[in-house]
Amino acid sequence: MSPVKQRLLLVGMIVIGFAFVVFFGIRFFHAFRAFNGHRPPHFPPLGSQSVETDVSLIRDWMTIGYISNAYRLPHKLLYEALNIPPNGNERKSLKQLNDEYYPMEPGIVLAKVKATMLAIQPPVPTAMSPNTAMPPSTVMPPVTAIPPSTP
Amino acid sequence: MADFLLTQVINYGAPLFGLVLFLGAVGFPVGASVILIAAGAFSQQGILNWLPTAILGLAGAIIGDVLSFGIGFYAKDWVDKRFGNSKAWKSAEESFAARAGLAIYLTRFLITALAIPTNLIAGGSGIQFRRFLTYDSLGEFTWIILYGGLGYFFGSQWELVSAFLSNFGGLMVGVVILVSGIALAIRKLKSESNQTLMQKN
Repeated sequence: MSPVKQRLLLVGMIVIGFAFVVFFGIRFFHAFRAFNGHRPPHFPPLGSQSVETDVSLIRDWMTIGYISNAYRLPHKLLYEALNIPPNGNERKSLKQLNDEYYPMEPGIVLAKVKATMLAIQPPVPTAMSPNTAMPPSTVMPPVTAIPPSTP
Repeated sequence: MADFLLTQVINYGAPLFGLVLFLGAVGFPVGASVILIAAGAFSQQGILNWLPTAILGLAGAIIGDVLSFGIGFYAKDWVDKRFGNSKAWKSAEESFAARAGLAIYLTRFLITALAIPTNLIAGGSGIQFRRFLTYDSLGEFTWIILYGGLGYFFGSQWELVSAFLSNFGGLMVGVVILVSGIALAIRKLKSESNQTLMQKN
């Protein structure tokens, strides 16, 4: 290889390497910031199964069976909400179901599944405000003196 | 492609996962690392059984690597005819052989984009198959434990881990190219200055 070609190759390597470092460095920085705010929810023991509750994590590559397993909900409910028969659709993703049953409404299956999950899930308990009066039933009974123990 | 494969891994489980890692190791752009992290999350959710998934994944990845090593091995004659007389090629081969173990191990999980070129070079540079297999198995085991483990512990938040690791992989490739380019440029400048000094004397 001629010296000129060698120099061009080296300059090319440095320029491409630098471009990669800048491009992926910026993306890595942004991904790190997003990643850093999300610690693992808990340290699950091997073999245990967690129950998912966050519907924003549902994606259109998921199947109804997968969603009902991860969110611990009967899959029948989801098929009913979508007005789709379960038979023959077990292995299809939400996108495939959308393309097959609602071709004129892109994204409707994903939206319906999320809405159904939200409607079924129990409400998240909220913190009680400090000024809220205690209901009468929760009034503590008067403290009774413990009789001295006899020797 | 990755979305389609994620659906199929949910449907067909560990055997399909092993097949995906095999295809990734041979060179098909299947997004094997993404699927591996997702498989870790699926194991935590009870969709996959982690032990057969890990074993079949490891087997698929190693078999794929062995296949691409074999392609490099059988292409050796052609490479020798084409570059055999080149000093630079001989020097690159020697320098690779000296650090082959580390290169094979690190490209399995840290700089995964360079895994297939490394397999081909390893096959073509006459490295002992047993040596390749040892470092390859260790590297793939680390990859499965590290990426699959992160997917397992982060569960449904695995997409964040995937974005983080894929960008980190790209950054590492850039660092390797940049550092190699600078090191070669310094070496070239030194040899040129030595030549000019010798000519003056």
